[in-house]
Amino acid sequence: MQQILMGLFRIMPLLFGLGFLAPLLAQTLERLHWTAPFGLSPIVFGLLVGGLWGAFATIKGRWL
Amino acid sequence: MKASVLSEAEIAALDARGLIRLEKSIAEGFMGGVPWGSVAWALANTTVWFALWPLTLSGWLPLWAAFPIATVSIALSYLPSHEAQHRIIARPGEPLFWLNELIGHISTLSLVLPYDVARLTHYEHHKHANHPELDPDISTHAAGTLDFLRRSLANRQPSGAADRAYGETLQRLGTPEAGRAMLVAAVYRLSYFGILFGLAWSGHALEAALVWWLPRHLAATYIQYYLSWAPHHPAQEIGRYRDTRAFRSPLGNILTMGMQFHIIHHLYPRIPLMRTPAAYWALRPVLKARGCELGGL
Repeated sequence: MQQILMGLFRIMPLLFGLGFLAPLLAQTLERLHWTAPFGLSPIVFGLLVGGLWGAFATIKGRWL
Repeated sequence: MKASVLSEAEIAALDARGLIRLEKSIAEGFMGGVPWGSVAWALANTTVWFALWPLTLSGWLPLWAAFPIATVSIALSYLPSHEAQHRIIARPGEPLFWLNELIGHISTLSLVLPYDVARLTHYEHHKHANHPELDPDISTHAAGTLDFLRRSLANRQPSGAADRAYGETLQRLGTPEAGRAMLVAAVYRLSYFGILFGLAWSGHALEAALVWWLPRHLAATYIQYYLSWAPHHPAQEIGRYRDTRAFRSPLGNILTMGMQFHIIHHLYPRIPLMRTPAAYWALRPVLKARGCELGGL
């Protein structure tokens, strides 16, 4: 149980990027009537940015 | 015996036993009774924050209005729980102990801080204030305001010190109660992320961000600054009369959430928050005789 929880919290920044930042970015773009670059849909753009940012935070241990 | 009936010279002339006897006799006058103001504060504030959800999700309250309300509400969430942590509302075995525990548990839901984690780690903070290894709140200490903000941001990174310090404190305690608190903390954290993810993927990411996620971060910064950094700064000394200070803030007593008088809380944790200013002024001559840092207050 403890191992599972520790594993889950270790990858939490990645999950946060995909689970929260991605839809947050997509819905922010839509609310502001902005379009995502390269013809991407807002959610694909959100998943790319959120996923990459979350992966960075998981590996580096920091968001910035 | 009252400090006000003795001159400063007479107080300074008291021996250690006389001074502590005077100090205790004054402090005892501010303890006891149920701090109903804190109880009402907790119930009203928790209701306000929970009410923001239906109000914003239904579109009745715009997010630009909900965001500052949520931030203030979460910033106000900690102190009623703090009264409960010290069992000021009621002690175990007293008829209203259930109310104490209820306030402790519900107050900090928006802050995602389980009551037992807060209580157990806070007792360790009192025991070891400013100790570089044993004080669970030592990570908030910084050279100044800008350094505090830099550290506060650093502490919240995935490898930051703040959460780790609380976990390590509970592990060091090693009691069944501390073990349960760690498990509850994990459940709280997973529930928080689960709710954020669920709201975000069901089309309510902005509501989740502006009613909970961002207000919680801003409120935590404010709480850490005034409840932890400011009253212990420069946080280099240890000991009953040296680990906490009084200070004068341009924001005044209410906007610093009563923390100008935090020295009283560390000396007598069972004095309710709303009585600490009066207790401070009554005890001030004794604190002065003790050589406490009173910060021009």
